[in-house]
Amino acid sequence: MEYKVEAHRIMSISLGKIYNSRVQRGGIKLHKNLLVSLVLRSARQVYLSDYYGGVCLNAQHVEAKEWELMDGDQEKLIPASEESLPSTTACDQTEAAEVPEAPQPEETDSSLAVEGPEDPCEAVEGPEDTSSTEPQAEQESSSSVDSTCDVSVPSPVVSEPQCEAKQATVSSLDCETDANLAMSAEGNSHQPPKAHSCSNRKRSAEKKASHGSPVKRTKVTSSNADEEEAEEMDTSNVSNLITIFGSSFSGLLSKDNSEPEAETDESDSGSGQICCDQMLKNLNPWNTAIVAF
Amino acid sequence: MGMCVLDSAESVFCRADIISTVEFNYSGELLATGDKGGRVVIFQREQESKNRPLSRGEYNVYSTFQSHEPEFDYLKSLEIEEKINKIRWLPQQNAAHFLLSTNDKTIKLWKISERDKRAEGYNLKDEDGRLRDPFRITTLRVPVLMPMDLMVEASPRRIFANAHTYHINSISVNSDHETYLSADDLRINLWHLEITDRSFNIVDIKPANMEELTEVITAAECHPHQCNVFVYSSSKGTIRLCDMRAAALCDRHSKFFEEPEDPSSRSFFSEIISSISDVKFSHSGRYMMTRDYLSVKVWDLNMENRPVETYQVHEYLRSKLCSLYENDCIFDKFECCWNGSDSAIMTGSYNNFFRMFDRNTRRDITLEASRENSKPRAMLKPRKVCTGGKRKKDEISVDSLDFNKKILHTAWHPKENVIAVAATNNLYIFQDKIN
Repeated sequence: MEYKVEAHRIMSISLGKIYNSRVQRGGIKLHKNLLVSLVLRSARQVYLSDYYGGVCLNAQHVEAKEWELMDGDQEKLIPASEESLPSTTACDQTEAAEVPEAPQPEETDSSLAVEGPEDPCEAVEGPEDTSSTEPQAEQESSSSVDSTCDVSVPSPVVSEPQCEAKQATVSSLDCETDANLAMSAEGNSHQPPKAHSCSNRKRSAEKKASHGSPVKRTKVTSSNADEEEAEEMDTSNVSNLITIFGSSFSGLLSKDNSEPEAETDESDSGSGQICCDQMLKNLNPWNTAIVAF
Repeated sequence: MGMCVLDSAESVFCRADIISTVEFNYSGELLATGDKGGRVVIFQREQESKNRPLSRGEYNVYSTFQSHEPEFDYLKSLEIEEKINKIRWLPQQNAAHFLLSTNDKTIKLWKISERDKRAEGYNLKDEDGRLRDPFRITTLRVPVLMPMDLMVEASPRRIFANAHTYHINSISVNSDHETYLSADDLRINLWHLEITDRSFNIVDIKPANMEELTEVITAAECHPHQCNVFVYSSSKGTIRLCDMRAAALCDRHSKFFEEPEDPSSRSFFSEIISSISDVKFSHSGRYMMTRDYLSVKVWDLNMENRPVETYQVHEYLRSKLCSLYENDCIFDKFECCWNGSDSAIMTGSYNNFFRMFDRNTRRDITLEASRENSKPRAMLKPRKVCTGGKRKKDEISVDSLDFNKKILHTAWHPKENVIAVAATNNLYIFQDKIN
């Protein structure tokens, strides 16, 4: 469809801008990158809207409604603490990678995060390059991201102790001023598929519209949570981010013909059917999570 | 005021660097420009003289100085650009002139003073400056002030640093002439002109979780008369008016100005084009004007739900938003300005065009600032962009507009019909024809 091509093109352009912004003089411009991330989000919504319309018929009803609600409720994001439980599965693609599904992955992440920053950047680049489109690689991605994040976020950010690893992951990746990493593997963190529209919708169905936009908002430099005196515009993880996008996009383009693969995000599983199933699988754990809180 | 008929470029000044800000002082006698290289150039208007009646109103270079240098923040591994984002003059209180200039991180207060006399006849040193041997001095003399060639000196009097984590986009001097505010993407600070090691944070829209960030501050200005009131605009197209008497931290606005979005014009780029790039109070203090990508809106401070006037600057670009997004033009931040009587407003566009709107007659005019079209004393010819169908003679089609030639910064003399237009690295000064 024409509009899908257009949306895809706009997403590519947006990612290119995000990538270029890191090499511009004067540091990353928060305003411009926020705007680019908004465009990215809109394009992504359009791009995905038809895909899920055909595939997830059951959810479509609810999704459509939630989609509109989410569109306007960007500000009402639930604080991280309430959503520490990641219930996502592969359906959430690489973002899920950052968002460990269960306590185990979380712990793994924590341990990795603790391990320390010997060479985070390099460590990250490798795995992410190869794994961004593979579900199996999610773990690797998350771990690599975590180690990265460890460096960039010296102190564990924010509130949730239980989600520390995730949070750290998020913040490090967040270091980018833009990247509405909706798509991003950055692990939009503790709030599961912010980026993934499908699961997002699912979640919102349960959690009202409080999730706001499925896309991650602008991430400004890290350390914002704790170190108020020493706020930084740290962009060390952009390269990782871009690598993720880069590989995911090329993967995307190559599989353009097969519809299920046409995910803006580093798509995970192939068929929409699987995706749907996984999504439905996610449903229950998530329900549990919500009830718990 | 009827439609302004412009005379021509009185002086064209060429700089190697791109001009990034233009500002008249309170009397209009001085015009300051800042550029991407961190330099400030101040022009002074020639006084009328009987000898040269035709030279009335010419602006000539008065002073040039390097305001900001590029810096490197080692802690954050960030380069800090020396580009001057804004210049604001202080009201004149003595013979010297003061202005504030800012780059992304640091604001400086500059004193510009004239020196046209020099003391001669010192006792302890001779005319060359060499010290005299005190034992050889047999008489005392009183130094005498002798005239010398006029020298204009600029010296930094205050440096207000380390108060902004994000990029400073605005500064505004308060009507109390003692304080001023500076705004970056997420915070607004209030300074006292005498105190550099402290500032009050009066607005902070940074969310606890940066992922929840949805809007940034794009411009801020103090009210021209009420020293407790200021406004700030956002990337979402909203303006908040705050009263500093209400609370120390003005996160809660007193008034919230927003025009409901027209759902029929929604596109991928709706959010970008609604981002406000400039906000300016009218001289009267009753209105304020905002500039977004395609239009200029005039708001009555007493009415929050919609602007009282909307002027389309270049609506023909609406169908080209995708290309403008690709070439980054959609992120251009155009400024706007009022004339002295608030009866007209001006803003820039592409192809070196700038637009003026008369609020009373509702007429508008498009003019071009370019060397080819502006011989001194020549009249400026109105331009027109052909938006569709057959192109008439002298019209320019949208596709042949040069998007690299953009006029982002314009300034209007506070009292007269003299305007300064910055076209990339050239400054044009136009004035009304004297009949």
